Amino acid sequence: MEVLSSLAIPSVILLISLMLLFSKHAYFDEFLEGAKDGLRTGVNLLPTLVALMVAVSMLSASGAVDYVAGLLAPLGEAIGVPMELLPLIITRPVSGSGSTAILADLFDKYGPDSFTGLCASVIMGSSETMIYVIAVYFSSVNVKRTRHALPAAFLTMIFCIFFSCLICRLFFA
Amino acid sequence: MPSCSVIKMLGKTFSILCITSFIAALLSGNMQALGNAVIDGAARAVTLTLSLLGIMCLWCGVMRVLKAANFITKLSKLIAPLLKILFPTAYRTGNGLDEISANISANILGIGNAATPFAIKAMEALERDNPEPGRATDDMITLAVLNTASINLLPTTLLALRRSADSSEPAIILVPVWICSAACTLLAVTLARSLSIRRKSKIKHSTNDALTNRPTGKTGVKGITQ
Repeated sequence: MEVLSSLAIPSVILLISLMLLFSKHAYFDEFLEGAKDGLRTGVNLLPTLVALMVAVSMLSASGAVDYVAGLLAPLGEAIGVPMELLPLIITRPVSGSGSTAILADLFDKYGPDSFTGLCASVIMGSSETMIYVIAVYFSSVNVKRTRHALPAAFLTMIFCIFFSCLICRLFFA
Repeated sequence: MPSCSVIKMLGKTFSILCITSFIAALLSGNMQALGNAVIDGAARAVTLTLSLLGIMCLWCGVMRVLKAANFITKLSKLIAPLLKILFPTAYRTGNGLDEISANISANILGIGNAATPFAIKAMEALERDNPEPGRATDDMITLAVLNTASINLLPTTLLALRRSADSSEPAIILVPVWICSAACTLLAVTLARSLSIRRKSKIKHSTNDALTNRPTGKTGVKGITQ
């Protein structure tokens, strides 16, 4: 399993290198164009991230999260979800950059390889900004009555949180 | 406009977080720490962006090469048989099928910014076959819900974040992420399909009773409030 995980990124790079070497197509030009796009995306992300990072680090310093997490800790223990994840759970469906800011804050506080850090990583990796996706998709065709789209997505998100923590317990305990 | 409502949502998130923090700091006497947190947060946003920028460039480049080599089309062909089960109406009419499979493929490959345009094109194609404009069809819901729980083989931003937080094994979470997102996708699709079957039988029932053939939209979710 660990071999598979660690092989993932290097093997994609290997694939690209082989393509560059053996194909007549000007793939390296494509690569450079794509990298420029990436730079633009990253720079465009910065203003949002500044705002959200300030908000998240304020929240973290104010002690509000610790207080609520402390109150909910017994409940969290019962259902197997560390309550330190609460800010991530709330933000994840709404905002991609917001949840990135919170994830960075969680890593800072608890470490990326702590149980909390691992659970947070799996939640982040296997969920999407569901409210954003539904808003953008349906408003693109002016659909107002989204029927069971939101309940289905919401239930999936809840399952995702439980299952992430469960799977981390199985894998890393 | 979607971008407008999204920015509004971000603004609200920002306000709620800040006001909550201010009140909490007032109550707990953490005001000094709160002031420092504002300055540190802004600085950390820059360091975070810088540490993510390299991998973002690299990965967008890699993905651009995969796209140029028609990986999206190849993967689309592979998953085409699946679409028959997931999108029965689109499969019957043929409208939107290509866009849907391109969207799913782009998601799997992790080309997130390519996935959304495909999805919007797919929604437009599905809307053409919509007997009731303004009301989501089953296929639209399946597509949207599928995208809220998409499988991404290589979540590079997540890996870069873990690495920049000094994880010695950032990729250790990959296999759990794959399993979890596969399970979530399965559940998402099952929910999207089964809830629609339940609703259909309800409608049939009401027409059988000669009540009305008005769709039972009232119990569903109202449109997204901006």
